[in-house]
Amino acid sequence: MKNFLNKIIFSKTAISKVTSNKKSLKKILSLSCFTIAYLCWGISSAAAAQFESSHQSGTVAFSGQHAGMDFEGKFERWQATLVLPPQKDPSIVATFYMTSAKTGDSIYDSTLPEFDWFDIENHRIGKFVSTEIVMTEGGYQVSGELTIKAIAKAVSFLLTDNQDNLTTSFGINRLDYKIGLESDPDAEWVDKTISISMTLDK
Amino acid sequence: MQRYHSFSIVLHWCIALALLFMFASGLYMVNADISKADQYQLFQIHKASGVVVLWALILRVGTRVLTQAPALPDSLNQQQVFKAKLGHMFLYAALITMPLSGWLMVSASPFGLPTFVFVDWIKWPHVPGVARNKTIEVLANNIHWITATVLATSIVGHIGAVVWHKKKHNINLVSRMWWNKDEKFSE
Repeated sequence: MKNFLNKIIFSKTAISKVTSNKKSLKKILSLSCFTIAYLCWGISSAAAAQFESSHQSGTVAFSGQHAGMDFEGKFERWQATLVLPPQKDPSIVATFYMTSAKTGDSIYDSTLPEFDWFDIENHRIGKFVSTEIVMTEGGYQVSGELTIKAIAKAVSFLLTDNQDNLTTSFGINRLDYKIGLESDPDAEWVDKTISISMTLDK
Repeated sequence: MQRYHSFSIVLHWCIALALLFMFASGLYMVNADISKADQYQLFQIHKASGVVVLWALILRVGTRVLTQAPALPDSLNQQQVFKAKLGHMFLYAALITMPLSGWLMVSASPFGLPTFVFVDWIKWPHVPGVARNKTIEVLANNIHWITATVLATSIVGHIGAVVWHKKKHNINLVSRMWWNKDEKFSE
C-alpha cells in the first residue's frame, strides 16, 4: 500500500515536472518567435530606409518653358544612394550624368551640351549631397547642395513617401548655375525656373 | 529665241518662289506681332529654307557655268547688253550673299542653336571659328538686311527690264527662261 502511494505521489510529481517543462518550452518558443519576427521587421524596415536607386528603376526629369512652349527632358544615366531616417546618419547622394540629358527635341539636345548650357566638355557630372534629412508625416524634408557646372547651391525639397516609391519636385534658377547665362540672361526665351522632378523606386 | 537649259529653268523658277517665301517669312518673323513660339518656329523654317536656297543657288551657278546661256537678242544695243550683264552680276552676288550672311549670323548667334534642314538627320554645320561672336553676328545681320534691300531692288529691276523690253521693243525675254515647242535649248 505504501509502495502504491509512493508511486502515485512520484508519478504526480513527474507529471507536474513534465507540465512545467512544457510551459517553459512554450515560453521559449514564443520568445524565439517574437525575437525572429522582431529581427525580420527590423531588417525589412532597415532595407526600406536604405537603398540604391538609378535610371533603371526611377526617373530624374527636368522641365520648363522655351518660347512659351513646354519642354521636358530626363537624365538617362544617374544613380543615388539613400539612407533615410530612422537610420543613423541619414544621407542622400545622387550623381547624374549631364551628357545623358535628353529631351527628344533635336535642337534642344544639340544645344544642351554646349558651353553656355551644360558645358559637358568641362562638367560631365552633376551631384546632389544632402546636409539634413528630417522625417515628416508623409516623407522626408531634405536639404542639401546641388552642384551643376561646379557651382554648388543650397536646395530644399519634400521627398514624399508613397510606399512603393519616393517622389519630389522642386525648382532651380538656371542662372544660378550659369545655364544659358550668355544666351538668354533675361529669360526672354527660356524660363529662369527649371523644375526638377524625381521618382525613386524603393 | 533660244532658251536656257531645262535644269536652269527649273532652278530659276523654284528659286524665285523660294525667294518670295524667304522675303515674306523674314520680314514677318522679325516685324509681326506674333507669339514667341511662332517666331521661334518661323526662325527655324527660315534657316532651314535658307540652306535649301543656298544649295539651289550653287546648282544654278554650276549649271550656268557648265551649260551655254542663250545669246541676248540682236536688237539690244551695247549699252543695254552692258546693263543686262551688270544687273545679272548684282543679282547673282546678292543671291549668294543672302544665305551666306544668314549662315554667318546663325553661326555667330549667342543662342548657338543648330540648323536642322527639316529633318533630324540633316544638321547643317555652323561656320567654324565664329561661335557666340556678337560683333560678327551684328555685322552679318547688317549685311543680311542691306543685301536683302539690294536683292529686292535687283529683282524689281530684273522683272522691270523684262516688262520694259516687251512693251518697248516687243522682245519676249521670258521665253529664254521657259519651255516652248518652237524654241530649243541653246547648245
